[in-house]
Amino acid sequence: MKQGSSIVIDPVTRIEGHSKITLHLNEDGRVEEARFHVTQFRGFEKLCEGRPFYEMPSLMARICGICPVSHLIASAKACDSLLAVKIPPTADKLRRIFGLAQVTQSHALSLFHLSSPDLLLGMDADPATSNIFGVAQKNPELALDGIRLRQFGQRIIERLGGKRIHPAWIVPGGVSEPLTEANRDAILSALPDALAIAERTLEWFKSTMERFREEISVFGNFPTLFMGIVKKDNGLTFYDGKIRIVDASGHVVADDLDPTKYSDYIGEKVEPWSYLKSSYYKPNGFPDGIYRVGPLARLNVADRCGTPRADQELAEFHELQRTAVLSSFHYHHARLIEILYCIERLEQLLNDPEILSKHVRAVARPNELEGVGAAEAPRGTLFHHYKIDEQGLIRWVNLIIATGQNNLAMNRSVLQVAKHYVHGNRLTPGMLNRVEAVIRCYDPCLSCSTHALGQMQLQIQLLSPTGEVLDEVSRS
Amino acid sequence: MARVLIIAYGNPMRSDDGVAWRAAAALQGRFSSDEVEIVSIHQLTPELAETIHRCEAVIFVDAANNGPPGQISSAEIRPLQTQPRFSHQLSPDAIVALAHQLFGARTHAFSVTLTGACFDHGESLSPAVEAALPALVTRIEALVQQFLLLEAPPD
Repeated sequence: MKQGSSIVIDPVTRIEGHSKITLHLNEDGRVEEARFHVTQFRGFEKLCEGRPFYEMPSLMARICGICPVSHLIASAKACDSLLAVKIPPTADKLRRIFGLAQVTQSHALSLFHLSSPDLLLGMDADPATSNIFGVAQKNPELALDGIRLRQFGQRIIERLGGKRIHPAWIVPGGVSEPLTEANRDAILSALPDALAIAERTLEWFKSTMERFREEISVFGNFPTLFMGIVKKDNGLTFYDGKIRIVDASGHVVADDLDPTKYSDYIGEKVEPWSYLKSSYYKPNGFPDGIYRVGPLARLNVADRCGTPRADQELAEFHELQRTAVLSSFHYHHARLIEILYCIERLEQLLNDPEILSKHVRAVARPNELEGVGAAEAPRGTLFHHYKIDEQGLIRWVNLIIATGQNNLAMNRSVLQVAKHYVHGNRLTPGMLNRVEAVIRCYDPCLSCSTHALGQMQLQIQLLSPTGEVLDEVSRS
Repeated sequence: MARVLIIAYGNPMRSDDGVAWRAAAALQGRFSSDEVEIVSIHQLTPELAETIHRCEAVIFVDAANNGPPGQISSAEIRPLQTQPRFSHQLSPDAIVALAHQLFGARTHAFSVTLTGACFDHGESLSPAVEAALPALVTRIEALVQQFLLLEAPPD
C-alpha cells in the first residue's frame, strides 16, 4: 500500500447530472474521507436577473427535463405572492394534479430505469448489463411496468400542459387553460392500470428487501433530521402546507414553520470542491444541522397520507423502525408508497365536482416586491424566492433545491458505504456500484441543484494521503 | 395510431442540433394523421419503445456530426445487439431493440441525418444546413411515401 491514497469514481452513472466521487484512504488503506463532487454549473439564479417576473415559471421549468413541473409550481407560487392573489380553487386543484403526475413519472424513472437494475440483478452484477435492457431480459414485466407507469405520468402532463417536457400551463395566478371533460375521463380511465402497477411493484420491492439487509444497514443509515411540507393535519402533501422537522428518534423538532420564512431556519454552505451547496438546519449549525428531504423524509414527517392504500403502506413503513426510518435505502420503498398515494389522490381530485370549472386564473399586477414559493418536488422540498423592482423586473433570485438539502447526507452516505465496502488500493465493480447505488437512493438531480450543460457521468478516484491517484474508474 | 412515426430529435437551442425540429415543422400538414405522426423531442427515452411498436415504420431524424456539413444520409436501422450503459438517452438502434424485446415489435426503422456545422448555443442553423434543409425534408417525405405505397398489414 502506497502512503496516501484516494479513489475517484468519475462519472457517477444512472443519476441525473454530472458528478464524481473521491475516496481518500489512510496509511492503512482504509477509507478516511469521501466526497461527492458535483462538477457541473448552470447559474440560473443570475441569468434570470432583469427578466419580467411573469416569465419566471417558463424560464424555471428549463432548469430540469425530469421535474420541470416542480419548478413551474414553486415559481408560480412565488409569482402568486408577488401578485398578492389567492388563486381560484380549481386552479389550485389542477396544479396539484399536475404535480402528482410529475412525481409519479419522476419516481418511476428513478425506481424502474435507474435503480431497478441494482434491485433486480444485484449490486455485484456486470455493469454492462445493469441497465433497463438487463432488467427487460430478466423480468420483462417489471421493465414494461416501468415504461407504462412513466408514460402514465407523462401523458397526464401532456394532456394538461400540451407537452411532456417544459410545459408552460402553470402561470402566475393559476393555470392557463381549464381541464376538459375528455381529458379528465381519459386520465381517470388510465388510473386502474397505474394503480395495479404500483401495487405489484411495491409487493415485488418488499419481497426483495431481505436480500439487501447488509446494504440497508450501511446505506446512509445514521441519525439526521428529516424535513418536509405537511398539511395542517400533518398529512402528506406535495403542494402546500407547513414545514415540519423530526429528529432521528422521530420526535418533532420544529412544526408549523412558515415555508416563506425558510431563511430563518435553513442555512447554505459553499464547499470549494463542489458546485452543489450544502443546506443545514440553522439552529443546529453546520454540519450538525444535517437533514434529509424527499420521499424518506416526507414519510418520516407525515402522520398519514390521507388515501386508503397509501395509509396502509405508510403504517407498515413506520413499523420498519421504532424511531424515524433512518436508512437511505428505504428511499426506494418510500418512493413506491408515494406513487401509490399520487394515483389515489389523482382519483380524488379528478372526481372533485369543481374540477371542470372554467375559472382557473386570477389576474393582477404585482402588489409585492418579494415573493417565496415552496412545494415538494419528487426529490424534496423546493424553494423559489424572487425580488422584483417597480417595473416587475427580476432583481434577485434564490433557489433552494432538494438535492442541495441532501448534500451533507449524500456525502456522509458515500463515506459510510465506502468505509464498509472499499478496502485497499484497488476497486472492484461491486464496491464501485454500491458507492454509486447509495447516491441513487437519493435520486439526485444535479441539473436542478447546480442551476449544466450536463452529461450523465460518474468517476471514482482512489487517492493516497499525499493525493496520489492509486486507482480510477470512469464511465462515460 | 398512424402507420408511420417520424421522431425528430435534438436540441433546438444548440444551432444545427435542432435541424430535425425544423424538418418536422416543415412536414406538418403534408400527411393525414392516420398515415403519419410526427413528434419532436430532445432525446430518445425508453418510453418510445411502446409508441414505436404500434407503428409499421419509424423514421428517426437527427443532426449528425460527421461528414461534410449539409450531407444527408439515410439507413435502415437494425436492433442493437449489445446493451447500452445509459438509459436516459438511447440511440435509435437501442430503442428499436427495446421495442423488439419488450413488445415484440416488428416495426421497420430508418434513420435520416443531416450533418451539422455548428452545435453552439443558438436557435439558427448554419448556412450549409439551412441550405440543405429542403433536401432533408424531401428525403424524409420520399421515404414516407415509399412506405405508404406498401399495403397495410391486416389489423
